[in-house]
Amino acid sequence: MRIGSLVLNTLESFLHNRLVVLVLILAACVVLLMLVPLMGAKSATTAANQQGMEAAVLEMVSGVMSFVSALGSILAAWGAADALHSELKSGTVLAVMARPVKRWEFLLGKYLGVMAFMFCYVLVMMGMSYGLVAIAGMKIHAAPWILLVYPMVRYAIYAALGLVFGTLVHPVITMGMILALSLLTDFVGPGSFAWKPKLMWLKTGLYYLLPSTNLLTEGRFLSLRQAALKQATWLEHSITLGYGLDCAVILFVLAMWRFHYRSLRQD
Amino acid sequence: MSSPAIEFREVTKVYRKILRGLEVPALTHASFQVMPGEVCAFLGPNGAGKTTSINLLMGFFYADYGEIRVMGYEPGDVRAKRQIGFLPENFAFYKYLTAERLLRFHNALAGRRAQDAATVIPDLLTKVRLTGYERLRIGKYSRGMVQRLGVAQALLAEPELLVLDEPTSGLDPTGRKDVRDLLSALRTEGKTVFLSSHLLSEVEQICDRVIIISRGRVVKSGRMQDLLVAADRVEILVTGVTPELELKIQEQGGIIARGEAGVVITVGIAHKRETAESLWAAGMDVIHVMPVRNSLEELYMKTVGTEGGVA
Repeated sequence: MRIGSLVLNTLESFLHNRLVVLVLILAACVVLLMLVPLMGAKSATTAANQQGMEAAVLEMVSGVMSFVSALGSILAAWGAADALHSELKSGTVLAVMARPVKRWEFLLGKYLGVMAFMFCYVLVMMGMSYGLVAIAGMKIHAAPWILLVYPMVRYAIYAALGLVFGTLVHPVITMGMILALSLLTDFVGPGSFAWKPKLMWLKTGLYYLLPSTNLLTEGRFLSLRQAALKQATWLEHSITLGYGLDCAVILFVLAMWRFHYRSLRQD
Repeated sequence: MSSPAIEFREVTKVYRKILRGLEVPALTHASFQVMPGEVCAFLGPNGAGKTTSINLLMGFFYADYGEIRVMGYEPGDVRAKRQIGFLPENFAFYKYLTAERLLRFHNALAGRRAQDAATVIPDLLTKVRLTGYERLRIGKYSRGMVQRLGVAQALLAEPELLVLDEPTSGLDPTGRKDVRDLLSALRTEGKTVFLSSHLLSEVEQICDRVIIISRGRVVKSGRMQDLLVAADRVEILVTGVTPELELKIQEQGGIIARGEAGVVITVGIAHKRETAESLWAAGMDVIHVMPVRNSLEELYMKTVGTEGGVA
């Protein structure tokens, strides 16, 4: 009951957060801008070019939804860091923590509140993906659960990262640190430029250590055709999602550990 | 004898600014006790360490050294927190909530049933004079209204121990009187109250125990009635005094004041017996000999003076 109340309160505080509302408006504007080329694609589709047009439309939707999805990652990280920071800064945390609430319960309530908001965001995002493709008279071949679960696991990592850094520094610095971490993760991931052989151990070590979300991008499934989708086995999905959840749990435990030992005063 | 509701033993807290290499001691070997059922005033100049002590007591900060027990548990233990009602200094609430929804939220955090809230919340809002404003967003409340709402949330779960950091801050005279009456009622109910305040005259009326802290150290602690007794002076009430005796008393540094009940002679403790015997010998009727009682303000100023704290 306590955690449930904290979740609902965090969710409500999101809806009163101006920055969050601004990001949502930005995402909505980008999606609305998409309507013009999609309507154009619909009118230009003939029986002869149907397959080619479908591929083009799916690519277009995938590109735009990747942007909206990336905004979601920022929202998850910022939301988690700010949910904690604003409580500490305003002092509202003191009245809450004077109740029989354990510190981990408070943090879990905040985390689940952010995730509940992100779940709504993902639902809307999924609806938009289907809607946009349907407007162009095409269809998405990927299963709906992929478009739901992949972004949720990715946002779980970003929200946990936001909490870890949010227990240490201001949300703005937190965002800078997460951005730097994301760049570093790309820098050491497969497909990045070749490192000197002497430093390969460092690259490999960092690759295994840093939380990578590259494989958790649902956009890569959006543009795939039925045949290609069948190649993604359940084992592959399980490993990818399991890795993501593992990262999120480790990061959350780190945040809990840090929050347990810090003072409830914003220095 | 029951165990203390609050106990600080040699508690030390130092604020560290790692980047600047600064260390600011906020509390230094502070020790005190508050027994169940006592209303205790926690006094001291700004920055003396009062809020730090309260934050340590509530488990918001960790002490660097020493031991703290609250209702028999460590600070922050949920078993202790179940018995505590807390009003923070300059507290803030979620501005987008209404008073009723905030109290429902706290009711849920306290682990109480929603059905309880339906009866308790209207009563509490009436008690703090917020009836009629329960559906107004807290963001639109005045400072005094927010403070009264804070008092209501502190009383919400029928706590055994109330920790109030400046409860009358921001309140008008009527609001202050309400809080004073509320504290008197709580004392009658046998609740323990730990109260930080700068309003010494009000504290003197309500509290049984006083702890004065300065520069992070407990400089005076004890029962109010014991502390307010001046150990160095006595007051002798007599029906009259002869001019010769009056002169002699004044030569010894005594003070003579005439009132409706008689003549009040204040002399140093060293001259108590000699003066009383002289008065008896001169045929004066000595009604009583009592230690002089200071006001809390006098005691406070004598103890702390014009010093400020450092943290």
